[in-house]
Amino acid sequence: MKVRAVYALILLLAALPWFIGSRYIFHIATMITIMIPLVLGMHLMVRIGQLSLAHPAFWGLGAYASALLTMRLGMPPLLSLLVGAAVPSLVALAVGPIFLRIKGVFFVLLTFAFGEIVDLIFQEWTGLFGGNSGLYGIPKFSILGLRLTQIPHYYVLGLIAAILVYLLMRAIERSDVGAILESLNEDEMLSRSMGANALAWRVAAFVVSAFAAGISGGIYAFYIGFLSPDPFGFQTIVDLIVMVTVGGAGSVLGPVLGAIVTVPLPELLRDAREYQLMIYGVCLIGFMKFAKQGLISFIVDKRRGA
Amino acid sequence: MPHKGVARGETAVIAQMIVNGLLGGLIYVIMALGFTLIFGIMRIVNFAHGEFYMLGAVGVLVLFGNFGMNYFVAVVVAGLLTGALGVIAERVLFRSVVGEEMPGMIMSLGLSIILQSVVLLALGPEEQTVARPFSGIWRIAGAVVPWDRTVVSISAIIILVAFYIFLKFSRLGLAMQAVAQDPTTASLMGVESGTIYASAYGIACLLAGLGGALMAPIYTIGPYMGQSPMLKAFVVVVIGGLGSIPGAMLGGLLLGLTESVLATLMDSTTALIASFGVVLLVVLMRPNGLLGRTVR
Amino acid sequence: MTAPLLVVDSLTRRFGGLVAASDVSFTVAPGEIFGIIGPNGAGKTTLFNVIAGHYRPTAGRVSFEGKDISGHAADEVGRRGIARTFQAVHIFKNETVRANLHRAAVLARRHNPLTWLSRRPHATPDLEGTAAFLGLDMLLDNVAGSLAYGLQKTVGVGLAMMVGPKLMLMDEPAAGLNPSEKIAAAALIRRLRDERGISVLLVEHDMPLVMGICDRILVLNQGMPIALGTPADVKSDKSVIDAYLGEDYEFA
Repeated sequence: MKVRAVYALILLLAALPWFIGSRYIFHIATMITIMIPLVLGMHLMVRIGQLSLAHPAFWGLGAYASALLTMRLGMPPLLSLLVGAAVPSLVALAVGPIFLRIKGVFFVLLTFAFGEIVDLIFQEWTGLFGGNSGLYGIPKFSILGLRLTQIPHYYVLGLIAAILVYLLMRAIERSDVGAILESLNEDEMLSRSMGANALAWRVAAFVVSAFAAGISGGIYAFYIGFLSPDPFGFQTIVDLIVMVTVGGAGSVLGPVLGAIVTVPLPELLRDAREYQLMIYGVCLIGFMKFAKQGLISFIVDKRRGA
Repeated sequence: MPHKGVARGETAVIAQMIVNGLLGGLIYVIMALGFTLIFGIMRIVNFAHGEFYMLGAVGVLVLFGNFGMNYFVAVVVAGLLTGALGVIAERVLFRSVVGEEMPGMIMSLGLSIILQSVVLLALGPEEQTVARPFSGIWRIAGAVVPWDRTVVSISAIIILVAFYIFLKFSRLGLAMQAVAQDPTTASLMGVESGTIYASAYGIACLLAGLGGALMAPIYTIGPYMGQSPMLKAFVVVVIGGLGSIPGAMLGGLLLGLTESVLATLMDSTTALIASFGVVLLVVLMRPNGLLGRTVR
Repeated sequence: MTAPLLVVDSLTRRFGGLVAASDVSFTVAPGEIFGIIGPNGAGKTTLFNVIAGHYRPTAGRVSFEGKDISGHAADEVGRRGIARTFQAVHIFKNETVRANLHRAAVLARRHNPLTWLSRRPHATPDLEGTAAFLGLDMLLDNVAGSLAYGLQKTVGVGLAMMVGPKLMLMDEPAAGLNPSEKIAAAALIRRLRDERGISVLLVEHDMPLVMGICDRILVLNQGMPIALGTPADVKSDKSVIDAYLGEDYEFA
């Protein structure tokens, strides 16, 4: 019952921008929809017990790849969005078999170092990525001859992608694959003894979660129309951790709630970044101290269900 | 060859690399010791470690820079205040997440950004400096050694020796080592585990605070100055082995020397990429660190 | 005589300089219940872990149904049809018994993501039937972690059964059980063989249980095999009695 009420509330919020009609509200709503696939990707890794700090880098790889495929190779935007999202997936497939042998804090440091290297490459390979001065002139997204020129257009695009990725992640969670991933997280030795190839499943989850991050990156690139290495660094790691923590990792709905609550903050507090940091910090500590399972735990009683 | 000191001759270049490496490495050791102490005893990756370093530096900025207190007194007072804050943070925040890896990381990340924002509100975003209490240089084997760095290094060595004596000869220090080895022996030592957690976190913060206080006159002071030393400590501790005190010593000096060599031979970006590459390699080849014991 | 199911041939495992298992050879025939015993530190657990794929052998071979499986990872060993149970309780404690058994079937069926789409036909034992066999049918909807210790261990056996194994490795199946639970465990192991045709290789401390149900027994001492034979042979073996001398074991 409560879950349905939350779905209804989210739908209502999703429709809100059209009632208000302000460009600013549409912008915030679009940013929320863009962050949802990214945070859901991060969440899939949290579900298998790995805190990945590589996801902002995957986000950036998706963004630059989608933009460059359209700009340099003249690929149609929808195709470059999908192919662009496959780029971080392929990178995850390449590094995953090495990274995912490592667990816990070592994985955290490893993925952090990986993210820093990718961010440095964005900064230094100016010929391709434009460096710190940025990559300009990303064309508008278009699909079936429709050019997306207004913010509300991108909001619809983001909404569709967010819903699709949400449904994908929910399907994974409820399927046998979800049961396997959860089993591996709960008791790896037991799960392996029954024949499950732990590494292969972890790599698969890593690849899927990188794809979600890539989709988010691609839409971001087309929406903003300009890329610099700036958003793909440590600040986004903090944002994502706040979203997962505030929403709660216990259910796929958790990070979505986290994104809805968290993304508007920096936009609303644009002129007072120090307060934003303070609120983030208080949220992290408060939830860890009083509600480790996040907002979702107030809605769903058991760990599954939503 | 393109490196900087070629005119002074090869020996001088090498000597300079070693001196720079040791000067940098000693601070890494101080940071890494606290970081590894917290992990070894509480299983918490302390992302707020750099902020305690930053608070130590801010303490010197206020006490020495603004109030004109004697530099050394200011360093000690700043360190002690930071340590006291650490004890409070342990009691109020970290006690409830001891032994839980992910909540511990998230909690410390939260504390880290709160401390940053508090200092940002108090000092503003501009980087600040304090007057250097020492100036001038001396030379060894053709290498230039600034006096201020010398004072920092000697102080660091004194702190390290004191820390060593504490660990080896005090009852609390011995109990801490025992807990780091095997948590169940804590009660056998007759020291209450809460006391051990509080003192471990407090001492680690005291070390970080002293490190920051010592470095205050050398670098600029600002809310984000702790991020880089925290990362260095994390790297050192992973290289040396999480929870290993000798590993932190060795790892710190090793990282200092590596950075100094890389910075001499390459441009800074390449050096940064190379050093992350080294980290990747070490984690992959020896996941328990060079001197590490098996963690689970 | 039929071909042996499991062949362990001159198996040695060293840890640094320490020899934990030295030149151990034995076979397990189809339909056999085979026990490994020995005083503490005899190398039983090491041997078990090498067969289960947790350690590589330093020397020697393990083969199953005529195929070399030495040094295969634990999941590969599982996929060959060798299931295992654990000394401590290893089950999914937050899930119901039904969900536990279902997960075991899923884990055994879908080995890796690439086989996800091409689901190979795999004879998974029927869930209800397995539960009935174990006497867990009334408890299917109970949360596994809330059951009594002995029943939790039984759920562990159920997980191994859902893999559809030909051989079950059991690491101290009686550890932590009270006397009546031990009797039930012994009966269960026999029924696994008699009614399900599963061969059993077990490592155990409890002498009466081992002597009562095993067809043949291997005795290890300090990593070395010192006797191999029927319970009666082993009980009267001089070197076995010497090895256990001073230990408080009861040869029932």
